[in-house]
Amino acid sequence: MAVKAIMHVIERDFRYFFRYKWWIAGMISMNLADLLIMAVVYTGMVTREITQQYVSYFVFFAPGLTITALFAAAFMIGREVNMEVRREISHYMLSLPIKRWELAIGRVLAGGFRGLVYMTPLLITTLTITYLFANIVPSALHLFVIIIALLFISIGTSGLSISLAISTMSFEKYITARSVVYYVLFFCSTVFYPIDLVRNALPQTLVVVAEYNPLSCATDMSRSFLLGYPPFTFFMLLDIAIFGLIFALVAILAYMKVTQK
Amino acid sequence: MISLRKVWTVAERDLRIFLQYKFLLIMRAAWFLAQIALFGLIVNKMLNPEVQLTVGGNYYNFYAAGLIIAMLYSTAVFIGYDIYEEADHGVIEYLLSVPVSRKELVLGRSIGGGLRSFIYVSPMLLFVLYIIGVTNPLQFLVAFFSLFLFAFGVAGFSITLAVSIKSSDGFDILLGVLDALIIRLSTTLYPIAYMPSYYADIARFNPLTFAADLFRWGTGIESTLLTPPAVAVFGIVMFFSVFTFLGIILHERRLEGGSWQ
Repeated sequence: MAVKAIMHVIERDFRYFFRYKWWIAGMISMNLADLLIMAVVYTGMVTREITQQYVSYFVFFAPGLTITALFAAAFMIGREVNMEVRREISHYMLSLPIKRWELAIGRVLAGGFRGLVYMTPLLITTLTITYLFANIVPSALHLFVIIIALLFISIGTSGLSISLAISTMSFEKYITARSVVYYVLFFCSTVFYPIDLVRNALPQTLVVVAEYNPLSCATDMSRSFLLGYPPFTFFMLLDIAIFGLIFALVAILAYMKVTQK
Repeated sequence: MISLRKVWTVAERDLRIFLQYKFLLIMRAAWFLAQIALFGLIVNKMLNPEVQLTVGGNYYNFYAAGLIIAMLYSTAVFIGYDIYEEADHGVIEYLLSVPVSRKELVLGRSIGGGLRSFIYVSPMLLFVLYIIGVTNPLQFLVAFFSLFLFAFGVAGFSITLAVSIKSSDGFDILLGVLDALIIRLSTTLYPIAYMPSYYADIARFNPLTFAADLFRWGTGIESTLLTPPAVAVFGIVMFFSVFTFLGIILHERRLEGGSWQ
């Protein structure tokens, strides 16, 4: 019965997601602008080391694009949860024949699955680019591992966004916190540049953030399977799994607590 | 006959409103910090030494100057959102009832929108000037006053879009897409010489290119890749004139009647 109730919650959140079709179109165009304009221009400007290791900056950035898209889409659930708590729509949801924990799990998973669905066309774009430019087709196992890792990242992101959303009743505070988290996680990661450059440019504390950042691990894992570099390590999977599980758990507990008030 | 006193009253009102958006201001400042302290520093290490020479010796300075223009653009454009907020709360009808002509209203809003973005960007501008330095104060003054016109032009552009579309969702999405394209297809982040010809042809006529290159020239960044200052000043004056004029015409014709969505 629990599975059915959770599926109902997920289905509802998916319906809401597809109401924002223009927003989705706008977001896809922004993601593609990063790849097709910014990455294309930087391709002609980067050092030879990057070209030697990753074919070109354009190819290097392609797996990062998937993570950017996934993160933005999965984070969107927090905005809805914050609005529901402020407007007390959560009270209506509690009147439904669904247990509190089913509701909480459903919301976190829905955010995660929405990110995964949104990211799919961009993952296909990435696979096409790496095939065309690097002539690499990932094995079924590698592709499966990439998708599972991305699902964990997406669930963790959804959990992180819900935790932030219910930590404040103010929408402005939520979007400010979201922006700070977003900028730190993205710019202090290997989404836009290899880890060696981060080590050369940033202080040690930020290098540690970049190394343990789950977005770095997911991007580098995709690169290792799709481009052959950097080498894959189990630490990447472990880091992603821990991020996903911790934030999913925190979000579930926090959501249950906030709906008890 | 346009009364400058009334124009200033309108502009002053927009300045006061802007101070209420403290979270938005914090968010934009966080974006700037992340760009300058993380992305800019790392990308600077990623580039070919030849690029460093062609952008005047240091890409970081080139990038920091471009960031100021991106900030000016993204804060000046915010006036369009104010118009939707006012339409939503019925303030437009109130504004139409005050003894200020439509021309004074839109001119005041363009100036207010531009001026407030300038005031907001000022501390960051000073920080960037501290990093880059100013070699020729006269050159800098020319660039500085042109940037005022640029900011007023962007505000006029945003007002033109807002009153043409009359749909807050449509405006939000269009502005998001435009933001992604207009910044990336300009020289705010990279010089035109490294763009493929199909992007460079667009970037040459982009007002952000004029503003970014003029600001760099004003600070004394010596690069052969910059747009000639006379061309940049002419481009900014044209941009300001066209969008202030269009803003006035459309504001007069479309403000009343029809529904705001």
